[in-house]
Amino acid sequence: MKNKYVFVTLLLTVTALLGLGFTWGYGRLEAEERKEELLVVTSFYPMYVAALNVAGGCEGVTVENLSEPQTGCLHDFQLTPEDMRLLSEADVFVINGGGMESFLTEAAREYPGLAIIDAGAAVFSGDHAAEEETAPAVAEDAASAVAEDAAHAAEEESGHAHSENAHAWMSIGHYREQIAAIRDGLMETDPAHAAYYEAQAEAYLSKINDFAAEAESLKAMTQGQPVLLFHEAFAYLAEDYGLIVEGILNLDEERQVSAGEVADLMELIEREKIQIILAEALYGRDMGDTIEAETDCKVYYLDTLTRAESDTSAPAGGAKKGEAEDGAPAGGAKKGEAEDGAPADGGAADSWLRGMERNLEILREAFGAKSAQGPEDIEVAVTGVERRD
Amino acid sequence: MRDIFSWLQFDFMKLAFAAILIITPLFGLLGTMIVSRKMAFFSDALGHSALTGIAVGVVFGVQDTNLSMVLFAVVFALLLNKISSRNTANTDTVISVFSSFSIAVGLAILSKGGNFSQYSSLLVGDVLSITRKEILYLLVIFLVTLVFWCLCSNGLQALSLHRSLAKSKGIPVTLLEYLFAVLVALIVMLSIKWVGILIINALLILPAAASRNLSANLREYHFFAVLFSMFSGVLGLIISYYTNVATGPTIVIIASILYFATYFYGRKYLQ
Repeated sequence: MKNKYVFVTLLLTVTALLGLGFTWGYGRLEAEERKEELLVVTSFYPMYVAALNVAGGCEGVTVENLSEPQTGCLHDFQLTPEDMRLLSEADVFVINGGGMESFLTEAAREYPGLAIIDAGAAVFSGDHAAEEETAPAVAEDAASAVAEDAAHAAEEESGHAHSENAHAWMSIGHYREQIAAIRDGLMETDPAHAAYYEAQAEAYLSKINDFAAEAESLKAMTQGQPVLLFHEAFAYLAEDYGLIVEGILNLDEERQVSAGEVADLMELIEREKIQIILAEALYGRDMGDTIEAETDCKVYYLDTLTRAESDTSAPAGGAKKGEAEDGAPAGGAKKGEAEDGAPADGGAADSWLRGMERNLEILREAFGAKSAQGPEDIEVAVTGVERRD
Repeated sequence: MRDIFSWLQFDFMKLAFAAILIITPLFGLLGTMIVSRKMAFFSDALGHSALTGIAVGVVFGVQDTNLSMVLFAVVFALLLNKISSRNTANTDTVISVFSSFSIAVGLAILSKGGNFSQYSSLLVGDVLSITRKEILYLLVIFLVTLVFWCLCSNGLQALSLHRSLAKSKGIPVTLLEYLFAVLVALIVMLSIKWVGILIINALLILPAAASRNLSANLREYHFFAVLFSMFSGVLGLIISYYTNVATGPTIVIIASILYFATYFYGRKYLQ
């Protein structure tokens, strides 16, 4: 009888000690002091990359990503206590907007002092033509109002939020706007470093412009070509390259496609003589294989740029080191800081450019092969692409 | 190194902590009865019906899906109870059929138009997003349960031992059964958002099952169940805070460890 209570006490004590002990050890591993004055938290990877390019390497500023880099689109994402803590310590919160972060609004409302930079405000308010502020929204007092707005959007137009295509970073033009919005927002909340932000953003924008010129040169080849998309994120990409989108089958998250939809799709491919489909590897692979087997279409797998690249897909050898750092959200930023001032460590900061570059190469192969009409070429291109995974 | 109690400095952690302090004793208490009455599968099916409840709410355009969820669960619980009280068919099978049917209906409706992702948080639950108002709900149901327990615990116990005998002693068995089913439905529905459909049953069953491994009488049974339940809840919350994993699963893992430890102890020393 007595024995039993001793056992239970012992059991609970040991469990508690072991649990807390391991946790403590783990905590020490992860421990990092944060003495910086300004903590910029971003909602997910593309925003992290954007913010890193504007604010990374600045003395006294830390850029951290909220969701782990592996979390792609935010639909799969669940806030962990660590995220909530990060959010509660943050000074600035950079979001993509357009309903992408609907899951975060409730959390953000808990911290009224948090300045929210809605990078997509300009992009999406244009589509809305609504009463939203035209200036990129950032204001300490207005933060909660913004959060509430977003919450509204999430509640009332949960489906709608997605249908307006929030993947703005996939468009070169919209991405430029987002960079500008982040720059303006940061300059306003942290005037002390305004000059730095401006210079960094300028440098990054010029890199983007270089890329835009390259994309423009490909347009001659791609202009007016019909394609089918398996992810709505590529709609912006298609727009940039002048492709004609015949249809979008939105394959992502837990979406289950009905047999009817697939049949419709086959019919469409048949009718419009579509030969090229752009898909995303993670969600589109199965459907892509099916379509390839059933029709003459070739499926090309592009990157939605929402994940930190894995080592296998990194084209440049030098990038590897950077990628390893990306495992921890803070890694990239910390690294950038250590190398006093230069955010470009070949890691996260350039990942947008590298990803877009890769997408461009894939498109070049896709349409180049098509116009050359060399079947072997296509085969090579396809297998080459598929190895990426 | 962060301060030991630094986790309590955030509002969301305080709320989550309060919620856990309310939910876990409840689960401990109810769990004892669910385990004695062999209703583990019943409460599991109930948890699954949450999805259907929400789907029904969405179809009828109910603003507060909590409401439709609770209403549906109560109806579902009464129905299940009715069926399982009839000894004709195999109860397990019937419950399973109901459970699968309701989850299929829920999935079908909610996944229409590819929108299921917004409900997927229900599967795992999220104790960190609990609000003050919802804590108030939990508090109310907590008090209701305590009152119910004080009044009906003996009757239920008698019922679970021998139904006919209890009936002959003048205990309103049918009424008690229905009340208990409704109570379980209410608690499961009110806590499902924080615990998650996939593991809510584990929280109900594990502490009571662990306690059953040890206890020699009813008092011990209840005491250990509540103790284990609260212990795993609090420890799980703290560990999940520092290790950056979801809270519900952490709690269940700790409860499972307790179960296995007591199981082996019980077999060795208490037979």
